[in-house]
Amino acid sequence: MTNHWIDFKNSDCILIMGSNAAENHPICWKWVLKAQESGGKVIHVDPRFTRTSARSDMYVPLRSGSDIGFLGGMIKYILDNKLINKEYVDLYTNAAFLVSKDFDFKDGLFSGYDAAAKKYDKAKWAYELDENGAIKTDPTLKDPRCVFQLLKKHYSRYDVKNVVKITGTPEKQLLAVYKTYAATAAPDKAGTVLYAMGWTQHTVGVQNIRAMSIIQLLLGNMGVAGGGVNALRGESNVQGSTDQGLLFHILPGYLPTPRATQPAFEDYKKAITPVSKDPKSLNWKKNQPKYAVSLVKSMYKDVEADKGYEWLPKLDAGQDASWLTLFDKMLAGTFKGFFAWGMNPAASGANSNKTREALTKLDWMVNVNIFDNETASFWRGPGMDPAKIKTEVFVLPCCVSVEKEGSISNSGRWMQWRYAGPTPMGETKPDGDIIYELFMKIRELYQKEKGAFPDPILGLNVDDWGDGHVFDPHKVARLINGYYLKDVTVKNPDGTETVFKAGTQVAAFPALKDDGSTCSGNWLYCGSYSGPDKKDNKAAKRSTEQTPEQAKVGMFPNWSWAWPVNRRIIYNRASVDQAGKPFAPQKPVLAWDEAGKKWLIDIVDGAGNPGAIHPFIMQVHGQGALFGPGLNDGPFPEYYEPLECPVTSHPFSKQLQNPTAMTFAGEEAKRTVCDPRYPFVCTTYRVTEHWQTGVLTRWLPWLIEAEPQMFCEMSEELAKLRGIKNGEKVILDNPRGNLWAIAIVTKRFKPFQVMGNTVHVVGIPWHYGWVFPKDGGDAANLLTPSVGDPNTGIPETKAFMVNVKKA
Amino acid sequence: MTVTRRNFLKLSATTLAAGAFGGLGLSLAPTVAKAQRMNLRKGKETTTICSYCSVGCGLIVTTDEATKRAINVEGDPDHPINEGALCAKGASIYQQAENEARITKVQYRAPGSDKFEEKSWDWALTEIAKRVKAVRDETFKEKNAKDQVVNRVEGLASVGSAALDNEECWIYQAMLRSLGLTYIEHQARI
Amino acid sequence: MKGKTFFIDLTKCTACRGCQIACKQWKKLPAEKTRNMGSHQNPQDLSAITLKLVRFQEVEVDKTLQWLFFPEQCRHCVDPYCWEAAGGDSQDAIVHDKETGAVLFTKKTAELDYDMIRGACPFDIPRMDEATKVISKCDMCNDRVQNGLKPACVQTCPTGTMNFGDREDMLKLAEEGLAKAKVKYPKAMLVNVKEVRVIFLAPFDPKLYHKTMMAEAGPQMFTRQSLFAQLFKPARAMFT
Repeated sequence: MTNHWIDFKNSDCILIMGSNAAENHPICWKWVLKAQESGGKVIHVDPRFTRTSARSDMYVPLRSGSDIGFLGGMIKYILDNKLINKEYVDLYTNAAFLVSKDFDFKDGLFSGYDAAAKKYDKAKWAYELDENGAIKTDPTLKDPRCVFQLLKKHYSRYDVKNVVKITGTPEKQLLAVYKTYAATAAPDKAGTVLYAMGWTQHTVGVQNIRAMSIIQLLLGNMGVAGGGVNALRGESNVQGSTDQGLLFHILPGYLPTPRATQPAFEDYKKAITPVSKDPKSLNWKKNQPKYAVSLVKSMYKDVEADKGYEWLPKLDAGQDASWLTLFDKMLAGTFKGFFAWGMNPAASGANSNKTREALTKLDWMVNVNIFDNETASFWRGPGMDPAKIKTEVFVLPCCVSVEKEGSISNSGRWMQWRYAGPTPMGETKPDGDIIYELFMKIRELYQKEKGAFPDPILGLNVDDWGDGHVFDPHKVARLINGYYLKDVTVKNPDGTETVFKAGTQVAAFPALKDDGSTCSGNWLYCGSYSGPDKKDNKAAKRSTEQTPEQAKVGMFPNWSWAWPVNRRIIYNRASVDQAGKPFAPQKPVLAWDEAGKKWLIDIVDGAGNPGAIHPFIMQVHGQGALFGPGLNDGPFPEYYEPLECPVTSHPFSKQLQNPTAMTFAGEEAKRTVCDPRYPFVCTTYRVTEHWQTGVLTRWLPWLIEAEPQMFCEMSEELAKLRGIKNGEKVILDNPRGNLWAIAIVTKRFKPFQVMGNTVHVVGIPWHYGWVFPKDGGDAANLLTPSVGDPNTGIPETKAFMVNVKKA
Repeated sequence: MTVTRRNFLKLSATTLAAGAFGGLGLSLAPTVAKAQRMNLRKGKETTTICSYCSVGCGLIVTTDEATKRAINVEGDPDHPINEGALCAKGASIYQQAENEARITKVQYRAPGSDKFEEKSWDWALTEIAKRVKAVRDETFKEKNAKDQVVNRVEGLASVGSAALDNEECWIYQAMLRSLGLTYIEHQARI
Repeated sequence: MKGKTFFIDLTKCTACRGCQIACKQWKKLPAEKTRNMGSHQNPQDLSAITLKLVRFQEVEVDKTLQWLFFPEQCRHCVDPYCWEAAGGDSQDAIVHDKETGAVLFTKKTAELDYDMIRGACPFDIPRMDEATKVISKCDMCNDRVQNGLKPACVQTCPTGTMNFGDREDMLKLAEEGLAKAKVKYPKAMLVNVKEVRVIFLAPFDPKLYHKTMMAEAGPQMFTRQSLFAQLFKPARAMFT
């Protein structure tokens, strides 16, 4: 989230699209309601009428997977009706940038497409540079090669008639959303979007969010109270686990993982140092080498950073090692050993039958969990013959969250400390202890027996993990924050000097060094534990004290700590004009105190006086990116159908589907488009009473009582068509799998009129699994395809084709 | 590790008897004008954050000082996000902790076996460490096909976890990367 | 008339069912074995171990789909029929706490005639445990209230649907809530406001939520004089 949960109350219009906020993030409704009570409008756009729709001012149906049509239409509506926030677009976006003549768009494809490789050459989408290497601009926004004009041209095809035809959204409702949301372009109004997996789990997932980001920039909704682009993340610490780099492509703090083409640290540092010729661009990422050196030193503090870097594993250039690829390789027998730590991939990943079969190819697997689950017990699951499965399984029991101490980071980037209540039950242990003990055992083996390349194992800094036996979350939190490794003398602005002794905690990331004198496990968290004592642990702060201005927008700067540097709203410089005056004086995020020469309310993005720098400091050029040349599938979001869809054409181009989508060889035959055997669009989701694959909820009697069984929601029209009665058992199937569900025949699903045909959408939750309860059903992911977004690899589990019949 | 439906229901009933926190007493005077004064069961209170979605609601856990088990979990009224409120999942966290279906001992399933066996931590961690080393030593690659230095292990992969605390995530990634893993993924991808 | 009162504003309810579970959590009530019956509502009905239940209804009002949520519980009647039916001040199976107004069922309810007690309730709330014959229902979290806490269902409510406090304050809140609700829902009403200590603000006709959401408030219903005449005729029968 760029903003935070309480900030929803400041919004004049909350667009909930690709999410079911009231059901899956129920407590946020407290703040949505506050916005509503102050006159704000709440709009829910979704294939299905949910508990969120029930409390929204407008519910607007949309066929699953057609979001870019809807949003592209909104961009066109805003531009055609001249509804943009002109001052904001001029000042804070790249609307005026000129794009190179190599950029083109024809028949649904951008220039630079290599059909054999299914990839674009992104160099074709560069900006036009002057003789000094600076980007050429046209502040009048009239040049046909400027971003603003290209944007206009690109979305000129997205007229209301075509949008209605493909989304199935009734025209009147569509226009009502456009009008209501576009009204937030007024400088003192703010619109926000709450999205979740309903936007990410598509082969156009990233572009769904890009399309909305374009709208937010055109309307001046970024950086302001009640605005932003807000991902409602699904797990209590999925923000933190991402921040800490538990993904193949990033190290802690979003530093890219090293590649084989960067053998020396210098090569890597050069690659992560972007350059901007614009003196007003702070280009914050140019500091990344300092963070990378400090990270390497936090892992390998006793060797030179260059050596520590060499010890890090490298991926081949362009190599993907994301989820779907991982299980594809597992099925091919690439891996012998596998950790499923606090996860249940046999039910959570797309195409469960493929995943379950892949697990049989392993020599051994470790599953760390609280309850039995479909992964731990895969070898005794449906269709499995244990006698024929060689995989050894170790199930390690971890304790529950209330039995251990440590921090987690919520969607609003608040790092919050948790304390242990009960002691771990039975022989369960905190995950930290399990990792620590396991690693010490591995290390011992390498000490005794040597083996392949033992240096990184023996050299890893485990001194900061605990006392040699027991994991210490405070010690690790201090390491993540970082400390000085040598005495460092810093010159103060007044000419005096301060000496930071070795071992002193670093105050904040601007103090991190690239000379090996500081370590920091994650620069984004630098500042969270700024002293040696538990009282310096800012995640544990519990003061509701705030200034009247902070209270007005509900900032709570003294409650816990938010990354970066306790900034509560990211890109907050965009909330003020060039003189530092808030665009929305009734709910300011920042204000410039001319007398005191300082910023008030939130922690300002970047340093300097009003107007000194561009606000989007994480963008190389400091401007909000209407044109985004960095993505794998184009600089502007373009309409494509899901890889399994109910139509053979759409109105926007001849290119039916995303030409760069992630797919796997040999699986195409199991995908269907307009196949009468699989005529219905299916989508997956969650309910309030369960969570993810249900491992932590299906075993709780109170929750399984409330939502006991797999269900399939469908319209009354579809039920009639298939002779299905409410409460009856039905079978869903497609070439990948099948499962039973109880039919919930409801008025909350309606058929869609798409390209002149009636299209039915059905929905199933993904909380169930065969392990428990026995009459609960199995995983929704038995039906979902292993195809993914070309940027993130997130599988397309929100729109695929099935058949539904009476059991 | 198998919990049958019968055990499951029994579990719920036992919980009622053992953990009764409130409820009415039996011995009310014949003509009561006022219900009997009731004292709440006391325990140690600690704060925590909900383990389910990412809103980050504050909870207060009351733990019995003698048994060290939770006796009540409810919303933290001081927490600025939830102000004491909890949804169905948050309100059920007590049952996540106090649940007989939890795995409380290490389980091991041998190749071809049709059952789990209970094992000790020491045995399991020693055996896993041996296997990690064996696979790593066998599949470690110093250079790739293009003769570029890669220093990676090819035969190991990991998924997980957003269920870990920040500090646990950090040491987990440090362990995996020091071993040379590149196939490191978790919930954020799906 | 003093004491405590709930005000439940259904214009705000999202059916998160925090209240349903928080009730079970505080009282450590076991779960029931349920099945999906083609609805998100579960359990299907109140029981001796389900004292708070969110009911779900899908209806069309003026051609617009409405999904109605009704967090049901004992209304703690100002003049409780069940208590009168049990014998009022002459017995101690059902206690009417004069300080809070809470109506409390003790274990001695096992000795009462269940059909009579349930039949006396205009809202069809009491339920008997088959094994112990003890009759149960919401007790206003009397233990919490006595210790200065809000009832568990109120404490856990994220949206301000559930409110609890001194009666006069709740009546004021209810009137304010009604005035606000009328803007969007012209037919909004406070259900049985004078007769109960659990006042629902219903944006739509109470019958659409559940057949016993509102007692048909004829004069015969809520006067003590007519009570004994009613006792032999289950109040449930008066609902259509």
